[in-house]
Amino acid sequence: MSEILTREGLREMVDDWLAAGKSVIGPVEVKPGVVLFTPVASAGALRLEGWVRPANSIKEAFFPKHETLYGYRITGNGIELTDPPEAVPEQIVIGAHPCDAAAGPKLDKVFNWDYRDEAYNRRRAATTVVTVACASHDEQCFCTSVGLGPADECGSDAMLFEQPGGWVVRALTEKGQRLFGGAGFSLPALPTPVQAQFDPARIAAFAKEQFDSPFWREHALACLGCGACAYTCPVCHCFDIVDEGNAREGIRARNWDACQFPIFTLHASGHNPRGSQAERQRQRVYHKFVVYPEKFGEILCTGCGNCARACPAGLGILPVVTEISHAEPIQA
Amino acid sequence: MSGNGDFEPRIVAYVCNWCTYLGADLAGTARLEYPPNVRIIRLPCTGRIDTNLVVKAFEIGADAVLVSGCHPGDCHYTAGNYHARRRWMLFRELLEVLGFDMRRLHFTWISAAEGKRFQQVVSEITEKTRELGPYRPYEAAPAPVEPLTPLPAAARREFPEAEAALRETARKLLAEGTVKVVIGHGANGPVFITRPEDAGRLTWNEHSLANLTAYLKRREVRALGKAAVVVKGCDERALVILEQESQLQRGDVHTIGMACAGMGQPKCDACDTHVPRFADEIVGAGEAAPAEAASGRYAAVEELLQKSPEERLAFWTAEFDRCLKCYACRQVCPMCFCERCLADKNRPQAIDTSPHRQGNFAWHISRAMHLAGRCVGCDECTRACPVGIDLRLLNLALARAAEKQFGYRAGMDPAVEPVVGSYALADKEEFIR
Repeated sequence: MSEILTREGLREMVDDWLAAGKSVIGPVEVKPGVVLFTPVASAGALRLEGWVRPANSIKEAFFPKHETLYGYRITGNGIELTDPPEAVPEQIVIGAHPCDAAAGPKLDKVFNWDYRDEAYNRRRAATTVVTVACASHDEQCFCTSVGLGPADECGSDAMLFEQPGGWVVRALTEKGQRLFGGAGFSLPALPTPVQAQFDPARIAAFAKEQFDSPFWREHALACLGCGACAYTCPVCHCFDIVDEGNAREGIRARNWDACQFPIFTLHASGHNPRGSQAERQRQRVYHKFVVYPEKFGEILCTGCGNCARACPAGLGILPVVTEISHAEPIQA
Repeated sequence: MSGNGDFEPRIVAYVCNWCTYLGADLAGTARLEYPPNVRIIRLPCTGRIDTNLVVKAFEIGADAVLVSGCHPGDCHYTAGNYHARRRWMLFRELLEVLGFDMRRLHFTWISAAEGKRFQQVVSEITEKTRELGPYRPYEAAPAPVEPLTPLPAAARREFPEAEAALRETARKLLAEGTVKVVIGHGANGPVFITRPEDAGRLTWNEHSLANLTAYLKRREVRALGKAAVVVKGCDERALVILEQESQLQRGDVHTIGMACAGMGQPKCDACDTHVPRFADEIVGAGEAAPAEAASGRYAAVEELLQKSPEERLAFWTAEFDRCLKCYACRQVCPMCFCERCLADKNRPQAIDTSPHRQGNFAWHISRAMHLAGRCVGCDECTRACPVGIDLRLLNLALARAAEKQFGYRAGMDPAVEPVVGSYALADKEEFIR
């Protein structure tokens, strides 16, 4: 393999993967201005060159928005269970950014902590993540504030660096080597990354010490209570289990769920422990910067900025932590 | 038709308790034979047949659906069938735009005395459906992504005079105590100004897209006290509906109407309400564009209707397959004010919560139908959608139906009776047998 993999060369490789029966997921401009990680039928559909931040995340590859866990059928004497119908094909995610790739190791922890989640693990094991190092960023990006960076290798199996003539490829894991061979190259220089904008430790301290601060109420006034932030987040992982079917047969499935929905914590009694949007907004920050770090030793945020881009009301992690950074501590 | 030899159509019939069900009963007691393909579901009145039930029937594999009730004038509840008829008129246009096969959906009036007619109708529908073959709308292949023309960069729109006047208006309202909070647009999104000295945070530019009337019903916002809300002409139409539906009284809220020059959105092209009509005060009249001709209001949906039903279904399949069920479309909508949405109720589960194809179709059909004759066309749902679903087209389809069939436009005239919830004896029923 030559030092530089041409643009056409990479696309030919992608078509070869597809021809070999692998599933390929990458950035596709599904309509003007809307780029999403989407399974593709040919390499031509991929938006690989130039910096582009898809509105969704690659978590869908391991943790789909809707997944059948098993089927059930009521027989004369009991219940017969069947395995989920879909086989998991070998899949390659291409065009992820380091903020997407880093989601894998974070999600691995939560899906293997007290219970090994088979549905998640089999998809994760079948997935190779090919990341494109970021040569640019936008005003919502903040990976450097949460300990990542434009060429961070966490969670990537291979990394592509865009060059004038094509790509420099760096295989990082065995999975990556299987796709690109084992060649190692000198790393090209990257443009200056986005400047770190806040200190996560300060956010964690604020969330703990100012738990009852009116800050949350004021901040959450604009929050409409939708799940756009959680559903475009690479690491939000809450789900709901539902049974769908009729009196004879059906499926048990899991669907994404989000802590911003009022019914997320609603008890059957009618009591809601997080009864206001302020409490739900606080929860989102608290989980990412306090709960998860205390349990797993790292922040549950990769700085991709998708939440702020998706929010119809201009909220999101960067806007809220920026406000927190400026907020005056309130004496208890 | 050859090839359908073994095919036995499954037909779901939603019938009213008082007329068609008794008609079917009469057919039975009179020993009139009709095909056993029809599954009859008895409901109190056609007025109580939720259009979602029709969708449900297709979801679980119905090849055709029959909805039948009392002849006009015969309703046991006086007017249930008239209300139903009006809803069906709108619902049919929605399904048409979605690309459903309209040959699969039948409406009839059959009285308790018409056992023979019930026999005929059911036999005809069964034969027709047998010819059409099985119906699997949810197995349609999604339309492939089309080659795209890049969007032109959004033009900066700054209205410094209007912005300054808006800030001054807000400052005064707060300083004089007329209101406790001003809901307006800020640098990153909606802002809630409670102190006169913060009025400078208000902005007015091409990002001032949010329809802020959606906040008026929210508990946390109401707790702040009497509000002033910044509205564009399109947003203001939502206030008309909210008042018609007894959700607020105009005296409870102070409206700051922004004369709007258009925000460069698709809706702005055919806008004829650039200047709010009922606001307590108008700001920035000097910078507003003149009202445009109303033609072209439904151009986008009419373009979609040029495609074949199969192409339309493929288009919507691709759109809805992207849906994540984040409900941003619902949350951002001023008209979606229900304390608990039908989609969040699970006893029974009217709409599958799963973001799979059926679940997404059911959700978007329900959402659109619940906004029929109510959507004011602010397009916030479309702006809010993180995956770019063209929800605007569904709303336009129903707005077009309401204007075409009833001459009605939501939120334009507070004195006109809402299109859903009222009826006219003269409502067209050429689609009902």
